[in-house]
This record gives sequence, structure tokens and C-alpha cells, in this order.
Amino acid sequence: MVNAIEVEKLRKEFKSYSSRSGLMGAFRDLFTRNYKTIRAVNDISFTVKQGEMVGYIGENGAGKSTTIKMLTGILTPTSGKVLVNGMNPHKERETFVQTIGVVFGQRSQLWWDIAVQESFRLLKKVYRVSDQDYKEHMGHVIETLDIGPLLDKPVRKLSLGQRMRCELAAALIHNPPLLFLDEPTIGLDVLVKLKIREFLKEINQKYNTTILLTTHDISDIEALCERVIMLDEGKIIYDGSLQHLKENWGEGKQIQFTFSKEVTDGELGALTSDLQVEWRKGEQANSWVAHVAPASISDVINRVVTRYEIQDINIHEIATEEIIRNIYEEGAVHG
Amino acid sequence: MFYVSVFFQYMGQYMKTKLQYRADLFVEFISDLMFQAVNLIFILVIFGHTSLLHGWTRDEMIFIYGFFLVPFALFGAFFNIWDFNERYIVRGELDRVLTRPVHSLFQIVLERMELESLLGGVTGIIIMMYAGSRLHLELHWYDLFVFILFVVGGMLVYAGVFISLATVSFWSDARSSIMPMMYNISNYGRYPIDIYNRVIRYVLTWVLPFAFVGVYPSAYFLGKKEWYIYSFLTPVVGIVFFVLAVFLWNAGVKRYRGAGN
Repeated sequence: MVNAIEVEKLRKEFKSYSSRSGLMGAFRDLFTRNYKTIRAVNDISFTVKQGEMVGYIGENGAGKSTTIKMLTGILTPTSGKVLVNGMNPHKERETFVQTIGVVFGQRSQLWWDIAVQESFRLLKKVYRVSDQDYKEHMGHVIETLDIGPLLDKPVRKLSLGQRMRCELAAALIHNPPLLFLDEPTIGLDVLVKLKIREFLKEINQKYNTTILLTTHDISDIEALCERVIMLDEGKIIYDGSLQHLKENWGEGKQIQFTFSKEVTDGELGALTSDLQVEWRKGEQANSWVAHVAPASISDVINRVVTRYEIQDINIHEIATEEIIRNIYEEGAVHG
Repeated sequence: MFYVSVFFQYMGQYMKTKLQYRADLFVEFISDLMFQAVNLIFILVIFGHTSLLHGWTRDEMIFIYGFFLVPFALFGAFFNIWDFNERYIVRGELDRVLTRPVHSLFQIVLERMELESLLGGVTGIIIMMYAGSRLHLELHWYDLFVFILFVVGGMLVYAGVFISLATVSFWSDARSSIMPMMYNISNYGRYPIDIYNRVIRYVLTWVLPFAFVGVYPSAYFLGKKEWYIYSFLTPVVGIVFFVLAVFLWNAGVKRYRGAGN
């Protein structure tokens, strides 16, 4: 199978100048500026196979959007090799973009003033889609995303959820084999999110569409992607399956105790010092969360319950968000 | 061919949008008409005080002004991208443009189209007819084609200069204040070129060739043989400046940094 995306030692540097403070500083800036080179994306390499759904995650400013913009041909890389759908995005921009679809969650791709179907018609022309292909393919897309009733409304009158579904449909007019989604579910309610996820899964199965998705909503990734690429300060810190990440980092359970009296960290630590436990203060008063290895679960519960008076106990799976937060705090993935 | 059909698709869309707001369209039409009428009266008043300027008669000067309005109207309708920096660079709209399989400049021209500016061209033609009839100009069948050629040449000169200015945004983040100044300079092109001193004449011919939008091409229709060479250079200069601008543009797009989000 051909690789949809091949990236090797990709780097993007931005030159920016930091302004000095005060009026005198502004005058000095007129003549000499303090230039600083910021490496937004720092020598990253990865490949994505045709038909994969990959989650591209990272904190704000980690370089996600910059990467996506280089992969879509908007920005020129400073150095490194990019090959997307067998083409160099920036060099052959006009032929290249014919083979990708792009959705930027924070920016509209549609024309603000005109009805959605008119936007679609313009895009159909721009992407040179034949009437027959349009009817076949888009008929299905419009039905699945349930946007039929919205087609004759101008974009500015749509709600965010309605608009987002239309954006997604617009990005698929030419049925591209590769789809870039930059925060497609930002600010959407649960129902719309579910609908969009379902739809993405469906087109992935039906057309073997490759999807690269950035998001801050980890549940999107859990629902869609088998593979995640995690970025921090312009470098890839993890590239692999979500399952693997969970097994290595999310082993064990979280047990939340709510005590009827005040308890200190030291007391709990002393009580379970020989077991693999980490205690953390919970969000409510008198509640403590124990992060426990599987072998010690029954021991921990046993000791705590016999020693203290308990109001409530909850046992949770460790959430992916928690795992990711831990990884960011430590800065790298080991294992 | 593809670009022509995309052009008409956008134009149709533009008209549809305009027609949606009927009242707005009506008001705009009336106000444009008034604006043109005021313009016309203004010229007549101004030129009412002068009868001869450096060997140019009042009617000749009115004719030049009339001619100038036609390429200027075309420029206004299609290449008026003075807000390029703010709209496309600062707000990052260029991201969207760059993900579509049509040349980026062409897309922006289509998006910023303002067809109502074409009304100014109609005023220009009326002024030319008025001045022309008083001057008893002789016209040949081929003059219509020469006229079209010169008008397009003049429009390309304008487009070339203003596109080049817009590309400055790719290199510098700061909003430039050159645009309004350039509009002022461009106005010099509508007066007879030999009333200026040598330096300004040189600048208006070869550096910011606004003389090719008004005086030079008009000289042909006014039968001023000594300027004929310049008249026929109009389309050449237009094409050269426009091609140069497109090169600059293409180089600029490579440097585009995008807006953070």
C-alpha cells in the first residue's frame, strides 16, 4: 500500500522580533530589532498509510497547525521532505489540493453571504466535479450529515453545529483520498460530535479515506483513531497506537475514597507504604484519590476501609486525558 | 478555458448575492449614479476656468479624463484589493484560498470583485463622447479595437502597480500606508504629461507608469502624432507590469506565514 503522507526531518522556523518595552524601546526598535528564530516544528518524521485514521495531538502552540499547514501546501517548510499523495504540496499546489480535503474548525471554508448550496456549486466548479459524480457522492453525504434542510440558507444564519456539518460536506465535494481536520469538533454539542464521528468512520470504511485529525477532545481520538502522534514543542514525543499508550501508562485503577473525617496525606501514605499506591487530594472535601497498581487493589481497599470510616468509594479506569496529562508533565514517553 | 468558466460562475454568484438585497442594490445604484454626476460637474467646473494648458485645449483635457475613467473603472471592478493585507494576511483568509485548486491571485480577484464600479466606465464614455463631439474627432472602424486594447493596457498598468503593493504584505507584517498615497499619485496620470517637470514625467512613464492610463493612450485618439509611440506602448507596458506583479505575487506566497490560531 502506498503511503498517503511521508514526512522526513520536517522543520519550520519563524523569525519574529521581540519588541522592547517603553517608548524609548519602541524608538530603538525602529533601528535595530531583536530577531529571534522560533522553531515551531523541529525535525519531525512520520508516515501515514492510505486508509489510516491518525490523531495528531498536542498542547496549544505545540506545532500541530503548522504541521498541517505544511502538509496542505499553505506554508513552505524551512527544511525537510514532505510527500503527500506522492506530491510536494507547495511545489505543485494547484494539482495537489485537488487530492485533499481540509476543514479548519475555527475558520469557515464557505462563503458567508450565500446559501450553502451555492457555495457547494462554486466549489464543484472549482474542483471540476462532474454533475454525475456530484449527484452520486454528495447526495449520500448530504443525507448522512442530515444537512438537506440547510442547503438553501445562507451560512451566516446557521448554528455552529449546522455550519460544521456543512463545512465537512464542502471539504468532501471532490471525494478526496486524504482529509485534514483541524479541530473539527471544537465547540460542538455531544449529538453533533457523535454524528460527525460516525460519518468520518463511514467514509473511511467506504472510500478508504485517510484522515489526519487534530483535536483537544481526547474522546474524538478514542472514538476514531487507532494511532496517535503526540507533539510537544515541535517534536514528536509519541507515535503509536492508543491502546499501547493506555497499557503502558494507564495500567491500574483510580480509587476515590470519601472519608467522613479529615485525613492527611501522611497517614494514608504510612498505611499503604509497602504497596504500589500514589495518593492525591480529590476535588471534594475529605476525598482522596489513590492511583493503584492492579495487584494491590484489594489490599488498599481492605486497609483503608478497616482503618477509617468511609462515606463513598468509586473505582475508575484511568482516563486517557489523565494519561496524556501525565505524559506532558514528564515531557517524553518512555516505554 | 477553465478559468473563464470559473470566472462566470463567480460573477453569476456575485449578481445573485447583490440581487438578494434589493433595497440595498437600489440605494447603491442611485448613490453611484449621483457620485458619477458630481464627478462630471466637478470636471466641467474645473476645466471651465482654463482654456489652454501647455498647448492642450479644455476639451482635450476633458477627453483624457473621460478615457482615464474607463480603465480605472475596470481596475476598480476587478483589482481593487486595497484591503488585501487586513483581510487575507492578518485574518488568515489566505489559508482557505491556498487550499483550492485555482491560482491564489485569481481567486482573490474573483472574491473581491465589485461590478458596480463599472458604472464609472459608462460615465467615462459619456464624457469622451461629449468632448469628442466638440473636438470633431474622426473615428475609424478599427479605433474601437484600439480603444479596447488601450483600455485593457491601462487597466493592467493599474493592476500591476497595486498587486505589487499588496505583495509587500508577504514580507512585512505591518500594515502599509502606501495604498492611499498611490491613489493620489495615480491621479496625475489624467493630466497632460508635459505640464510636469522632467523627473515627474519620467516617473509617471517608467516607474509608476500611470501616464499610460490617461494621457498616452488618449493622445492617439486626439491625433497628437508626437505621442503615438507612447500610445502604442500602452498594452506593452501594461503586460510587462502585470507579469512582473504576478511574479512578485508568486514569490510572496512562498513566504506566507499564516495567521496563528
